[in-house]
Amino acid sequence: MENKKLCLALFSGSVDKLTAAGVILGGAAAEDMDVEIYVLLQAAFAFKKENAMVNDRVAEITDKKDDFLASLKRLETPHWTEAFKTAKEMTNVKIHICGFAGKVWHGFKLDDFIDLADDICGIGEYMTSAEEADINLFI
Amino acid sequence: MTQEELTTLTVDKSVDARGTSCPGPLLAAKKAIGQIAKGQIMEVLSADEGTRRDIPKWCAKKGFEYLGTVEESGFFKIFLKK
Repeated sequence: MENKKLCLALFSGSVDKLTAAGVILGGAAAEDMDVEIYVLLQAAFAFKKENAMVNDRVAEITDKKDDFLASLKRLETPHWTEAFKTAKEMTNVKIHICGFAGKVWHGFKLDDFIDLADDICGIGEYMTSAEEADINLFI
Repeated sequence: MTQEELTTLTVDKSVDARGTSCPGPLLAAKKAIGQIAKGQIMEVLSADEGTRRDIPKWCAKKGFEYLGTVEESGFFKIFLKK
């Protein structure tokens, strides 16, 4: 039986939303789903090598950022990059950096981004994946 | 299975995922299920309330048999057969 497909348009570059994406990827990995992730605008900032581990921005309930980050630590929540890596090890996950988004953040080649990224692509590829997916998410 | 049957069940594999939050226990179960043979029994120890609901649904999707859950002090023992 063919694996179900998840297409994730990842727009946010904030730790809270990236962590949520990591949790969802864990669920997809448990179910052997094929996952295509398209890293758009602000997410491309978070995927830059120099930003991934030091970026601690949050998108929601920003006045509780310190509580949120402390809770992640207390609960021993893996960093979002680790959650993405685990999902890649357990199921078929491809991570595509939007070429335009990369340029916005001065990332012009694949090597400018963390090793999780598989390639740099255009929006046409995203549209095809979105059409073919069983589940589409925009985070 | 009844609670009494579950508590006396001999398991072939035990996965202790009490130190992790969702989706940690589910991923631990996914990793471990490949280490047992069809027909063998695995228990997943989890302190995560959501996992108690996730594992039965995961079993149904993946073709495993969910046997039941025993609530211990501060955690759950979730039993399944591959």
